[in-house]
Amino acid sequence: MIVQNTLCDQCGTCIAVCPEDALMLNEHALIIDHDKCTECMLCVNICPVAALEKKQ
Amino acid sequence: MKKRWDIIVVGGGPGGIFAALEAAKKGKSVLLLERKREMGVPVRCGEAVGEKDLRSYVDIDPRWISAEINSFIIVLPDGREVKLKSNIYSGYIINRDIFEYDMAARAAEEGAVIRLKSNVQELILKENGSVAGVRTMEAGEMREYYAGIVIAADGVESRIARQAGVGTALKPEDIEPCVQITASNVRLPEKALYLYVGFCYAPGGYAWVFPKANHCANIGLGINGKYSRVSRPVSAYMENFMQRFFPDASVQRYVTGGVPVSTNLKPLTKKNLLIVGDAGRMVNPLNGGGITHAIYSGIQAGKTAAGTCEAPGKAAKYFSQYERNIQKKFGKNHEHQYRIKDVVYQLRDEDYNRIGAEVLNIDIRKRSFLTVFRHVVKHRPEFLGDVLRAFTGI
Ligand SMILES: Cc1cc2nc3c(=O)[nH]c(=O)nc-3n(C[C@H](O)[C@H](O)[C@H](O)COP(=O)(O)OP(=O)(O)OC[C@H]3O[C@@H](n4cnc5c(N)ncnc54)[C@H](O)[C@@H]3O)c2cc1C
Ligand code: SF4
Ligand code: SF4
Repeated sequence: MIVQNTLCDQCGTCIAVCPEDALMLNEHALIIDHDKCTECMLCVNICPVAALEKKQ
Repeated sequence: MKKRWDIIVVGGGPGGIFAALEAAKKGKSVLLLERKREMGVPVRCGEAVGEKDLRSYVDIDPRWISAEINSFIIVLPDGREVKLKSNIYSGYIINRDIFEYDMAARAAEEGAVIRLKSNVQELILKENGSVAGVRTMEAGEMREYYAGIVIAADGVESRIARQAGVGTALKPEDIEPCVQITASNVRLPEKALYLYVGFCYAPGGYAWVFPKANHCANIGLGINGKYSRVSRPVSAYMENFMQRFFPDASVQRYVTGGVPVSTNLKPLTKKNLLIVGDAGRMVNPLNGGGITHAIYSGIQAGKTAAGTCEAPGKAAKYFSQYERNIQKKFGKNHEHQYRIKDVVYQLRDEDYNRIGAEVLNIDIRKRSFLTVFRHVVKHRPEFLGDVLRAFTGI
């Protein structure tokens, strides 16, 4: 997963649905733990502003 | 900075602030950790609260009030407005930023210490699973703080409880992704909560227009998570909505957010951890209101934590009392609202239009929520069981 920081508003909605606890916010950005992520796409689909996408 | 505290509160929203305030009032040493750079902002919230509800927790300072609200208007998919009887709602659109600033200052006056730009990365767990403290990142530096009791008031993301072993991840259908703007130059005929219902606006959710002072308004839209797609995110629905109803509005604030619309989390405690507000999924799943739920649970958690510090032997008793108090206050209620939500959001746009047309034929003085539901049942009798259960509490 990758996050476009210009779009992300750091609201935490994606974190709430991530089944793997692979997402967290720090003081200024969303951080993705690629080791934990299973690419289930739940976060990508829930984001209100489509700031997340699957890494090609 | 002191390392050892009686109580650590993670998160400085209304839940965390009221928890810290309550525990500090009882003379405990309290550290509140907040990731953001400023208390109260950004305001990810429609800021609507019931007047009686808010007053039951705190003396209301007029500076908190942006607008007083006294009516309720449902806007149908066909654009017609159904106004419900007057005084069906008495509430405010508050300035949450000012409110939280003030309440945080009160907590500090009582002795709580608030630390900003402090991101709690993880819990420090003991071997028996209880919480020893937290590890934070502050300006690139890792720090540790220890406490006898930790209160998780970390909002919708709810990672703290998760680390203690409470499953807080929400299914997509149990969360509403939202976009909200605060707009100026919005002229509204009534001091009302305007709710726009129907798939055409917001599938599985609704759009809202809440008037603020000086012709400003909080205008937002949330859809059910199961309809949210990267190809059509909430922002796209919001753009359509604004084009259709408020093409000339200026935007002063743009925020996103997620509203949990599940039933309350169970359990709300784990060992020496108490879970508060959105982190405990305490939002009313039908209307998305959660400010006063966070306040109530914050106060209860603050009391519970302080009491437990004084009498550690009674920890189990106090903690189960916390759980019971929350469930009694809104646990059952939210289970009913959750079922009503399922009914309401299954209605089709034609249903809404037809039901609305019938309600419009009724004398406005008789248009209550119950009347509206009676008409829902008339059109979709298969919902009768759910609606009855929801209203009678069986
Ligand atoms: C768009 C939208 C509109 C809404 N409209 C209304 C409304 O009109 N009326 C109403 O009653 N409710 C409304 N709600 C719900 C309401 O905003 C929440 O229920 C309420 O804010 C919950 O308070 P809280 O203290 O539990 O959490 P929050 O207010 O979310 O506070 C949690 C805090 O914890 C901090 N935090 C999180 N993790 C960490 C960490 N690891 N370390 C440090 N700090 C952390 C966050 O930065 C945040 O400040 C709305 C919500 C949204 C998204
Ligand atoms: S849901 Fe979207 S906007 Fe919100 S934190 Fe996640 S990526 Fe950012
Ligand atoms: S794709 Fe799934 S596992 Fe990966 S970060 Fe998103 S929600 Fe978590």
